Order: sequence, then C-alpha cells, then structure tokens
Amino acid sequence: MHRRHPELDPQLLSETDEQRQLRTVLRDFYAETSGVEELREQPATPRGYDEALWARLAREIGVHGLAVPEEYGGSGFTFAELAVALEESGRALYRGPLLPTVALAAHALLLSGDRTACERYLPRIADGTLTATVAGFEAGRFDAGEPGVAAERGSGGWVLRGHADFVLDGAGADLVLVRAGTPAGPRLFACEPAPGSCRRAPRRVLDETRRQALVEFRGAPATAVGTADGAEDVVAATLDIGRAALAAEQVGGSGHALDATVAFVAQRHQFGRPIGSFQAIKHRLADVLVALEAARSASVYATVCAAVASPHLPTAACAAAVVCSDTFRLATAEYVQLHGGIGFTWEHPAHLYVRRARAAEVLFGTADQHRARLLGLVGHPAA
Amino acid sequence: MSGIPEPEEFRAAARRWLTGVARPRAADGEWGSGSDSVAVFDNWTEEQEREHTARVQEWERTRYDQGWSAFNWQQEYGGQGLPAYYEQLYRAEEAAFDVPHRPEIFPVTQALVAPAIGLWGTEEQKNRRLVPLLRTDELACQLFSETEAGSDLAAVRTRAVRDGDGWVLTGHKVWTSGARVATWGVAVCRTDPDVRKHAGITVFLVRMDAPGVTVRPIRQMTGGTSFNEVYLDGVRVPDTDRLGPVGEGWRVTLSVLAAERLDSGGLGLDNADRALDLAANLPRPLTGAEHQRAADLHIRTLVQRLMGLRVTAALVAGREPGAEASVGKLYATETMRRTSDLVSELLGPSLVADTGEWGTYAWTEHLLGAPGYSIAGGTDEIQRTILAERVLGLPKEPVR
Repeated sequence: MHRRHPELDPQLLSETDEQRQLRTVLRDFYAETSGVEELREQPATPRGYDEALWARLAREIGVHGLAVPEEYGGSGFTFAELAVALEESGRALYRGPLLPTVALAAHALLLSGDRTACERYLPRIADGTLTATVAGFEAGRFDAGEPGVAAERGSGGWVLRGHADFVLDGAGADLVLVRAGTPAGPRLFACEPAPGSCRRAPRRVLDETRRQALVEFRGAPATAVGTADGAEDVVAATLDIGRAALAAEQVGGSGHALDATVAFVAQRHQFGRPIGSFQAIKHRLADVLVALEAARSASVYATVCAAVASPHLPTAACAAAVVCSDTFRLATAEYVQLHGGIGFTWEHPAHLYVRRARAAEVLFGTADQHRARLLGLVGHPAA
Repeated sequence: MSGIPEPEEFRAAARRWLTGVARPRAADGEWGSGSDSVAVFDNWTEEQEREHTARVQEWERTRYDQGWSAFNWQQEYGGQGLPAYYEQLYRAEEAAFDVPHRPEIFPVTQALVAPAIGLWGTEEQKNRRLVPLLRTDELACQLFSETEAGSDLAAVRTRAVRDGDGWVLTGHKVWTSGARVATWGVAVCRTDPDVRKHAGITVFLVRMDAPGVTVRPIRQMTGGTSFNEVYLDGVRVPDTDRLGPVGEGWRVTLSVLAAERLDSGGLGLDNADRALDLAANLPRPLTGAEHQRAADLHIRTLVQRLMGLRVTAALVAGREPGAEASVGKLYATETMRRTSDLVSELLGPSLVADTGEWGTYAWTEHLLGAPGYSIAGGTDEIQRTILAERVLGLPKEPVR
C-alpha cells in the first residue's frame, strides 16, 4: 500500500571515483578562496559575491555545466555530479547564485523541452556568463494557485505585469524564468529584466549569503518557454530538483558545522581537560553525527532520483527537505552552543551557518508542508 | 562454485533456489486479520522455544547442505568463499519468502560466535566446532553480562581457576538469549584478579549441559521471558575449550561486540511499517499532529532503509562502510520510540485497556519491549560514546 522501500539500484548510492575527485578539487578550491576571512567580509561588489571566483568555478572546474547536456555547452554529467559540487559549496557557504542558476533555472529550461530557449541560455549558464533564477513558482505552496504575475500579448510579443516575491538573486540575475498566468493557464516565460520595465527591490535577508528580492514586472517583455500544457509539471519538477539541490547544500553545511565543532572541542580546555572528553559534549556530537548520516542518506536518495529522472523524485525530495533541514538546524545550533561565548560573536562564522540553516529550511516549503505532501504522495488520506 | 558470481547473477540464482525450497511470503493479508503480534522480543515457554528453534535449525541445515549459507566461509568449513556482503544480498532475496523467523540465538551463533572461533580458535577448535555451529547443529549463546558488569563489561567477576588440564568456572551471568537451547556458552571470565581490569580476562567455550550450569529464565518488563540468567557453579572446562590466549579475553570479547553492532540496521522497521498501516486504516481521519507524526515515521523508515543500502553499496564497491554503519542502532532505537509515540496517539485508550479488538492492545508488546533495545547490545549511551570516540575521534575520559 505504501512505498516505504527506496526503489533504486544500491550501487548508485556509492560515490564514483570521478565524484570523489570532483569533491577533492572543490574542497581545495574553496579552502584556498573562501576561508573564514572571505566569509566574514561582505564582498564590496554590487552582486554580493566575487564574480571572478564565479567565473573560475565555471571555467576552471566546470561546475555550472556539470548537469547541462553537451549539446547545450555543458559537460553532460548528471545531477549526481552537480550535487557533489553543491554539497561542497554549501560546506563553504559559497555566496554565488549556483542554486538559482544551475539548479533551478537550468533545470526549468531543460524540463520545458524548449530547444530554442535551451540553445539561447544554457550555453551561457554553463560557461558562467549568465546568471538566472526563477520567479512566481510559489515554492511554499503545493497548490500553486493563481500566479502573481500575468502575461499579456502586446504588439511586440508577450509582456509581464505583476510581482513575485522572495526571488533568489532577484535583484541581480540576468535572466528570470517566470511562472505567469495567461488565458490558457499558467505558463513559463523568460524575461531579461531591464530597469524601465522591471523594478527589483532587494529584501533585507537573514542569510546575506543568499540574497532575495521583490521583483515587480511593469510590462516587461518576455518570451514564452515551452508549452502551456506541461508548464505546471515543469514548475513542480523544478522545485523538486531545487529541494534535492538544497538538501545537498544542507548536508555540506551540516558537515562543516560538525567538523568545526569536533575540532574545537578537542582543543578547547576547561577544568584542565579538553571539553570534548566530557560525555555531555560527546553525546551531543554523536547525535549530530547520527542526524548527519540520516541527512546524507535522504539527500543521496533525492539526488539519485533527480539524476535518473525517477518517478519517486517528489517523495524523495520531500523526505530530503524534512530530514536535511532538521539536521542542518541541529548541527548549526550545536555549532554555536558547543563553541560557547566565542560561538556567539559576530566574528565567528557559526552565525552565518545558523542564518543559512534557518533560511534554507523554509526556502522551498516548510517542513509541515513537505510532510503533508509526502503523505499525499504515498497514498495516505489527507488530514 | 567457480569464481565469484556477479551480485545480480548471485541474487537471481538465490531466487531460483529459494523458489524451489520455500513458498513466497503471502502478500500482506487484509488489514484486521491474521496475527496482530508486534512483540519486540520473542516471548515463549521453554517448549515453544525448543519447537521453534528446531524448525529454524532444519531450515538452516537445508541452506547449509545445499550451499546457500556460510557465504564468506572457506570451503573447508562448508562455506562458499564469497565476500561478506553476499550474506546481505541473499537476505534481501530471502525476505520475499516464507521462511522461519530466526530468533537471536541464530545470528549469535553464526555471525558472532563462529567468526570469533575462526579468528581466535586453534586449528583443532576450528575443525571440530565450526561446521556444527555454521550448520546450527549446535547453537552458542553469549555469557557476557553480569549484574555488576553491564556497560562496563570488563568488570566481570566470574572466576576461572586453573585446575590440572582444565579450569573451574564460578559466577553468575545475566541477559543471555537462547541459553535453554544452546549447546555452548561463550563465557567471559576473570583469570587474573591482580592485573588491570582489561588484562586478566579469558574467554571459554562452556558446554551448557555440563554439571554446575543452571539456566533460569528472567522475566522482563513485558511480562514474558526472552532472556536467562546462567549460574556457573564450579563448572569444569577443559583447557582445549579455552578461546584465545589466557589473559587476552578482552580482545576476543571486543571482536564479538564489534560484529554485534553492525547487525542492527533493520531493527524496528517491521513495527514502524505496521504503525503506518494502522494510521492508514484508522476508522477516523487523522488529526493534523497525527498526520505530521505519521509522515515523520514514514520518512524514518525510508532513511533507515537507505542507511542499510548505503552500507551494502559501500561493501559492494569494496570499501569499508563509514559512519553509516555505526549510527544504525541509535537511529533504530529512536524509530522504535517514535513508533510507540505514534501508536499511542492513534489508539488512545484502546492501547492501554484490552477491548479485544484486533491490532490494538497487542501494541503494548511493542511499547514495553522497545526500551529493551536501547539497553541490549550496548546501551544508547555507550553507542554515543563509541561514535564520539571512534568515529569523531574525541578524546577519551581521563583515567582516574
């Protein structure tokens, strides 16, 4: 009656040599470029991240094109390789807009099946010259309802009116994929925002490493992407990809929190001994380890489902969202608590991870919404 | 068997063999009929235990004799010479067939005691003891814990004193599963009281029918009896039944305990599934909070299974499993607690007062049995300390 058995080839749960190499390369890259100093200092660039670093990630390591097919300028790996990159990026609290660009927008384009749009945008996403995001996907609502943006046919093509809130990198992205209402129902549109027809107001955000904006479309020219038919499915699938991507980041962030805390309690002395030798400390960290392994398991399942386009992706994505959000919250709470006073200071990076954890757990729906959707997906009558 | 078959090939062959010797497990019966037992610990009289044990022994002999057991053992012990994880591949196939449920004494015999003899035994011990244990003609129980040596197992007080060409054992062991049906008991004894605690321990294979061995059932908090206490009252053991060197018993014991911790991944899943079925079949709509709890438990069962698959995947890939193998028991005991909590919400008063209705009061067996697993095989607290020290590498408590 219920699907409680993960349906997949267990071998897919094992990291490949290529994935392991990619992980090593990225860990070294971030260690060298995104140390604590870089984390603490707000980059003075208007976009809020180091654009030279973004370009290096795309060109030297090829992160942006990992899950983009070769015909669109990518390297034609799968979501599983991208997930490795996202985990390492989450671990380093990388500020660049990878999540909206390469997870959300790139997959929305691919899922739309619109070859023209893919040819126009994906090669530039893959080489790091185009940043992109999605808007109006109403990530927190599974009954997405009426879009807040409407598309009308003007004399020169479609124009968008209305607004979308909480748009990731909304103030800076070069391309916005918008879910907008048309007389034939909601559809996807590609909009390259211009100041005259699009007002973008950055929101003050808890997590400065991941910016959000209110985007107001005032007759902004746009191109339809894909057909009206499958648009809602594309939106739903894109969000599930986003949840799988976020889960990988959350695992990375949790891994950092645990490792940093273990290192700290092993060297911090009080009462004449390392505080990590006290059972009260050990047991709390053991609980974080158990949670981290649970998160890793849920995340890798969602990743595999995304990589092989499994029909179980929605269930796996919801489960990963619940488990990984929970783990990240716990790991970052312990990060602060077990560092004591120093962990509560502005100078220490712990709070940046707390901010990321709290922001991430509500990004694509709250835990309760994920649980409700999951039970519906496995055939449970709704509450 | 020539060479090592590919996992897929092996699984297909296992399926074919199982189809010939066992019936497929009946599809889950209608909700509300069949057995509603969710007992966590087997609970039976001595007669029932002997009867069921004999049934399982027959099945295990069939497997052994037809080459479908002892997968990672050398051929001289009737094994198949395969990597250890083929056992898991086989189990995954066997789960679809109606074969007798193995009480704890069987994994203890085959997966804990036999490997310890393989590792520490003399050639003579290996030649004489291994085949009967692997074939389960002889079962072996653990004589480890004592009333004053639980988590601190090295504090054992059972004495073994040399006497000619043998030893005389005197002491009191507790929490032994299967003592009534076992041929052998693996006894952790103190042979030298004058050295530091972890030295001076020696392990013996004790015949459970030897004069001076008395087995008494322990009644546990569920009201049933699944464990025993074992009195050793001047029991004579020949030196040829000593396992490992004199004074090296702690290392022998640790190798048995390490195998035990890796064997707990599937714990609690059947009952968690059953609780979710209960939620789905409740004759009233779930409240919002119940819905959330059920979803959480569903997610736990998924994650717990994934952890198990990750361990298998690591082994198949030829890697030592990492932390995913060590966290299993702690994760599982939490699943068991959450199962109790959900069921309590769902059933309310009919959980605690027997109305005779199918699948209601029966849950008290789970409710009262689940806490046992947070104690048996290493308490949750000991598990956390092990994770912190061995996986995370945190410093040990200073020695007083």
